[in-house]
Amino acid sequence: MDIDKIVDVISEEVPRRKSPVHRIVLSFIVRDLKVWWTYKFWLTLDIAGIILFVVTYYLFSLITTSQQIQEAGYMIGGYFTFALIGIAFQQYVHFAVQSINESIRDEQWNGTMETILSTATDFKIFLLGEVCFSFIVSSALLLMSLFVGVMLGAKVYVTPASILSVIVLTILLIASHMDIGILSTGVIMKIKQGNPVTWAFSWLSQLVSGVFYPLRLLPWFLEWIGRIFPLTYSLDGIRLCLQSGKDLTSPEILSNVISLLIFIIIATPISIYIFKKGYDAARRDGSLGQY
Amino acid sequence: MKVEDLVALFKEDMPRISSNIVHVWAVFWANFKIFLSYRTWVITETISTVASIAMYSFMGLQVDARRITLAGYGEVGWLSFALVGVATANYLWMCISRLSHSLQHEIREGTLEQIIASLIDMKSYIIGQSLRGFMVSGYFMLGVMIIGIAVLNVPLVINLNTVFSFIVIILLMVLSYAGISIMASGLVLVYKKGDPLTFLFASITEFLGGVLFPLKYLEAYPALWAMAWLMPYTYALDASRKILLNGATLFSSEVLKNAAILIVYAIVFIPMGLKVFRWGVNRIRYEGTVATY
Amino acid sequence: MEYAVETFDLTKIFENKEKGVKRYIKAVDHVNIKVKTGEFFGLLGPNGAGKTTLIKILCTIILPTEGSAKVNGYDIIKEPHKVRSSFGWFHGETGGRSLYWRLNAEDNLRFYAYLQNVPRDIAEKRIDALLEFFELTEDRKKLVKDYSTGMKVKVMLARSLLHNPPILFMDEPTIGLDTISAVETRRLLRALNIELGKTIIFTSHNMFEVEQLCERVAIMKDGKIIVDAPPSALRDMLRDIHAVEVEIREANNLQEVIKSLGGLPIVKQIMEVKNDPYNVVIRLQVEDEYDAIPFIASKLRAMNAKVLAVRRSEPTLEDIFVKLTRKETA
Repeated sequence: MDIDKIVDVISEEVPRRKSPVHRIVLSFIVRDLKVWWTYKFWLTLDIAGIILFVVTYYLFSLITTSQQIQEAGYMIGGYFTFALIGIAFQQYVHFAVQSINESIRDEQWNGTMETILSTATDFKIFLLGEVCFSFIVSSALLLMSLFVGVMLGAKVYVTPASILSVIVLTILLIASHMDIGILSTGVIMKIKQGNPVTWAFSWLSQLVSGVFYPLRLLPWFLEWIGRIFPLTYSLDGIRLCLQSGKDLTSPEILSNVISLLIFIIIATPISIYIFKKGYDAARRDGSLGQY
Repeated sequence: MKVEDLVALFKEDMPRISSNIVHVWAVFWANFKIFLSYRTWVITETISTVASIAMYSFMGLQVDARRITLAGYGEVGWLSFALVGVATANYLWMCISRLSHSLQHEIREGTLEQIIASLIDMKSYIIGQSLRGFMVSGYFMLGVMIIGIAVLNVPLVINLNTVFSFIVIILLMVLSYAGISIMASGLVLVYKKGDPLTFLFASITEFLGGVLFPLKYLEAYPALWAMAWLMPYTYALDASRKILLNGATLFSSEVLKNAAILIVYAIVFIPMGLKVFRWGVNRIRYEGTVATY
Repeated sequence: MEYAVETFDLTKIFENKEKGVKRYIKAVDHVNIKVKTGEFFGLLGPNGAGKTTLIKILCTIILPTEGSAKVNGYDIIKEPHKVRSSFGWFHGETGGRSLYWRLNAEDNLRFYAYLQNVPRDIAEKRIDALLEFFELTEDRKKLVKDYSTGMKVKVMLARSLLHNPPILFMDEPTIGLDTISAVETRRLLRALNIELGKTIIFTSHNMFEVEQLCERVAIMKDGKIIVDAPPSALRDMLRDIHAVEVEIREANNLQEVIKSLGGLPIVKQIMEVKNDPYNVVIRLQVEDEYDAIPFIASKLRAMNAKVLAVRRSEPTLEDIFVKLTRKETA
């Protein structure tokens, strides 16, 4: 071994400063973008998958009647518009929740998790960084699927008031699902296999949140379960805005907004608590690196 | 057990006789056991299957049933129409994604090295894995059918003839995709990344094969229409529906025609797939990446 | 057949693309070895010397770039199938990977026995015996994922012996084993070699193991065989190596200490520096340890280093590698 080399390695001092939050978040996003880019084929596939999904439901809508949709209070656009909104937003949150889980699981796989957690980054910032990128990508996919839908003939009310209301509802939707993503990640870290929470959530919400049909078609007990899911309120609100021209001033929308806020207020502390538990358990077992 | 005893035991030796059947059985049996050890997966997958059937039954409430009749499937209602579609599409997807999925696992776990260094022929390995795929996806398909018939009263034509014909069609369907699945697995060996080819095929299949709506409605889009009839799945689904919804059998001319087309796909693609796969194995042996993920 | 393994200018060049720049790594470089049938042959070398690649080529897992080889008289490129029925392969570096973690030990072995065409009843007999020998009988129904590393290694060892092959490639077979199991495994390998005439190609980092087992030893470095000799020659080489180990506590001026130690005329070379948070261990190669120790101690005192120990150190295999490489470059 070369003496000079040893001396170089040992004498290298790195100044330790606390980096500002936005720099840390940005570095996460840049890193994820790079990873994503190397898998750009998958991005193409995601896009193709969403377009195919929308087209399929367009074709399916050709054999449906609009009767049930209109009875449920969604006036224009018929079944296709109804299903488009359901699919686009359900995929949106599903994709986002899943990518939170996956990015953390990948890091466990690759063993980079330990490195990141040992770089003294506060875990809330760590989470924020992980989450930001997923939401940027899924928002782009959401807008794209809505665009494809409109191209295929979906009809929506576009007024400043309805769009603003949709944006508010979407933000609440994101916030409520971040809780779910955080919670399920905590569970994954603890049990280290499978992804039961995201899985159950994704299936149940598809079944009972009225993605493909109005809630009133469900038997009473499923309808009741549907009322636990934030997706139910968001979809109802968004559809009322886009299909019936309602906005934040109408009581139906307001009640949806309030339900979502209640969900967030209750779920946030619970999910952070569970994440912390999972994170601590993983650290205690020394099992961050293994999956 | 002492060293001496062990050595004495190894002194008696018998000629080893190569048997492909034993190899196929070993791969099938080991992988089936591994599958059974994923109990959570089996349970969750079962529940999602049940949930999806429930979902389709609610979706069906919005469908104008006359349009299914008008499309030539008789007065069977949409749910039975969709159920056959969903059951076959799921079966296909599970079967053809199996091989590349297992290979990814074997590379990651380092067991592929041991398999290559053993006496098994790659063809036996592929057949063993596929058998396991048939079994597992068969379980789910059977589940879908039973729930459909017993709980939702879906009017499927079930008798010895139709069941036999349906099984043959399903086998041919899987064989018609086997080439692509094997090819995709060969690429997975080399590029180590997911399996985009199978994924792409499966999603196009599900979307364009007419799982949820009669293909008649695609006629307005010549490009999509042509694409749909390029896929073997479309023929398999069409035949399955004729069998289970309308009581046709393998010997009805429309079903026979579809079966013949599936066989052509199998004959054309399987040798190509095997060629790519062999190329893949030799390629990673050359690159020295048999166990590198 | 005179030779169990013969290689002819065997060469493997790996292509490595890093940031678009192609790099070529010669993992095995024109290797010519001949291992007699029934010989216990040791293959040594520092990490990354190409031992495992060489063995994987002989196992037909990796195709060579150039040259050829014969295993049990069969060509590894033209007759891979016959080669594969001739050897048992153990790959310790995987540390328990390469088993099906979701199968239990006996199912793992059974699976492999079937792939190796071992008749059913013989397979069962051998599985029972091997599991008993490796003290896994009680845990044979437990999934491998719940095994310790040592247990996984034992299952892998059993697997490589199951089909009773004439040639054994044992790539670090005692890695991860406890001392007693390692002793038993060595005894077994030796017995298989002497009683059943199996050819064993053996790699290890443990000097003592190699001396005890091997009739002939080759040392590999950067893909080349640089020494091919009986183990006694290695011992002679070790006798020529004198090493001193210095242990100091948290030196602030560590780089200066290392520099000045390296500058001492009595020190030939610095071989290793281990830098823990609380103490630093420096290994030095010297002309003569008894002359050197007082010199080094007083130098350290002069530099105000907090010295914990200055002692004679047993030469290791690594020292031989360092020494041999130095000779090469000189």
